[in-house]
Amino acid sequence: MDLEEKFRELNRRREGAHMAHVYYGDPNEEFSIELIETLAKSGADIVEFGIPFSDPIADGITFQAACERALRGGVTPAKCIRGIEKLREDGLEAPIVVTTYFNIPYAIGFRRFLGEIKSAGAQGILIPDLPMEEAEPFLGAIREEGLHLIFQVAPTTHRERLERILAKASGFIYLIGLEGVTGSRLRGKEVIKPLGAVKRGAAIPVIVGFGISKREHAETIVSAGADGVAVGSAYARIYSEDLECPWRKLSEVARLASEIKKGCVEGYRGRDTLNNQGEEAPQAALQRLPVYQVRRNSILDGKAGGDEDRHLPIRSPPRL
Amino acid sequence: MSKGRFGKYGGQYVNEILMHALIELEEAFEKIYPTPEFQREFMGLLRDYGGRPTPLYHAKNFSKLVGFKVYLKREDLLCGGSHKLNNALGQALLAKNMGKRRLITETAAGQHGLATAMAGNVCGLETEVFMGIKDLKRQAANVKKMRLLGAKVNPVRSGAGILKDAVSETLREWSACSRTTHYLVGSTVGPHPFPTIVATFQSVIGNEIKQQILEREGRYPDAIVACGSGGSNALGAFRPFLEDEGVRLYFVEGGGEGTGAEDSSMVFRYGSPGVLHGSLMLVMQDECGQIRASKTRAAGLNYPGRGPEISYLCEIGRVRPGYALDREVFEAVRTMCRAEGLIPALETAHAIAYVLNHREEFDPDDLVVINYSGRGDKDLEAILRYFYGS
Repeated sequence: MDLEEKFRELNRRREGAHMAHVYYGDPNEEFSIELIETLAKSGADIVEFGIPFSDPIADGITFQAACERALRGGVTPAKCIRGIEKLREDGLEAPIVVTTYFNIPYAIGFRRFLGEIKSAGAQGILIPDLPMEEAEPFLGAIREEGLHLIFQVAPTTHRERLERILAKASGFIYLIGLEGVTGSRLRGKEVIKPLGAVKRGAAIPVIVGFGISKREHAETIVSAGADGVAVGSAYARIYSEDLECPWRKLSEVARLASEIKKGCVEGYRGRDTLNNQGEEAPQAALQRLPVYQVRRNSILDGKAGGDEDRHLPIRSPPRL
Repeated sequence: MSKGRFGKYGGQYVNEILMHALIELEEAFEKIYPTPEFQREFMGLLRDYGGRPTPLYHAKNFSKLVGFKVYLKREDLLCGGSHKLNNALGQALLAKNMGKRRLITETAAGQHGLATAMAGNVCGLETEVFMGIKDLKRQAANVKKMRLLGAKVNPVRSGAGILKDAVSETLREWSACSRTTHYLVGSTVGPHPFPTIVATFQSVIGNEIKQQILEREGRYPDAIVACGSGGSNALGAFRPFLEDEGVRLYFVEGGGEGTGAEDSSMVFRYGSPGVLHGSLMLVMQDECGQIRASKTRAAGLNYPGRGPEISYLCEIGRVRPGYALDREVFEAVRTMCRAEGLIPALETAHAIAYVLNHREEFDPDDLVVINYSGRGDKDLEAILRYFYGS
């Protein structure tokens, strides 16, 4: 199923999308296949299929460990691509977005990589270290291959830059909900302002990711106008508690996945309630929620005040 | 060549979160760096705080030993004990002018972390340093100094616990605080504009060599030899001579044990183009594009990538790559100790070892400058253990 079709279907059902991010091969391939199938059965609408990289600079500690374990276990990009084929053979219908750092497709050959993931059954590709400028030379090849390049935007993205990204984007926009790495702690509401800015300009759906681990996050974000949420580290945190036999954790993963999905559904329908009251959904949600102070440098006017402590660390006394 | 590119190398391969910071930094550097106010303050600090110009020393005993005239560019005499302060002061001053309140950085040998802590204090900026746990142990003296200066030193446990992992961790930290914090990149690596900024601030080395050698010898050197991984001390020495084709430029990397790719940091032998830490450069990787950990006894050379500019200069043949093995490096330390009474850093000793072991590449009337990038106090324990056991 292609991404457009999936989003149309979800809109018909009045649901936000739940994209589940998994690093393939952590701790082994068999488990990853079962994990992805469990997630898809329990409420994941889109699979974000991570190909592990040795130096994942946009990932927090949970996904770094996942990459390390997967690579130690011997997973390779070729095995990952066979994993996608396997999922399709098993009957997985959800759209698959392949996420990997740029050096992986670069080393294999970008065009060859695109062809391989496409024929394995992927619909899109997301490269966290390939910003708009560097992606430019590859846009033609990606389009020719019939894949979507999923662009990320961040709370730090300048408005004029956002417009340029939106003009090139296809599939959906991935809004990074916070300044930091995957698996950071999100409160949920700080996303609302940047989300408003992206939604105003975007002709395609917007999925919010980074730091989402709870049903309430999903509900808040979807009710504020997001078309979906991405959850990843929260799942890896669950099964990595029992790496001897991660299968024992699958029911817990399934529970969280269905909770997140419930949040996506409730968020969407809460938005409908607001709409029935005759208001534009995102703006209405904005008015309902506290407005955070906007920093001087703020670009997407999206920075929540509460993160100040990250910027002004307390100087530690010298330890000798 | 397009902006931020050296041939095909360079670029800005970072997450969108950081793009605003790179754009802001590039604009600030272009606007602030050329102003007379900045130049005055920067040059003043290099002189009065750093102790520049550093001397160009004619190492007569060493020259006699190798059979040609060797000068040492004494960056070990720069305050802090290595060339690192040139760049740290420049960037800290830039960060202050940009209104940043805090510096973060990574360090391996600890020299750059120390220089950043010094520059941070001079400019009134908080400093936080990320350091691989393996390096934290082997460079304990510099860790103590950084902490004494008030810098927070964060151990990095991910990966192999070395420089590559510390750089990744600092980039992650920067993603969370780039509005108020400057990442003071320590070498000519990373996304544009860092390689250019660092090389520009380090070029003071080569500019001084040019002037000093003209005063002493009335001509340019025939060769300049420098050690490196990212390439900051080498590019600092080389850059002002790039147009002078008569000056041979030697870049010496860490050969490690020299038994193969697994045991070395020989990127020019075992590397290939790849993207690491925001930039396309020569990097050691497996056939799938996974980055390999490098290995050498010199923590400061233990990086699996070569910065984009040095990658390019070697590709076009302007710079000649070479290497020195760990055992040759320790022998070079001993030779320099006995010949000139100087204890070089293990990194610096790579350049010395190269000259000692490749005498055939130099003519008897050649003028050779070794960029003596740092002093060896930080390596004392490792050196003593090598020669006398524990």
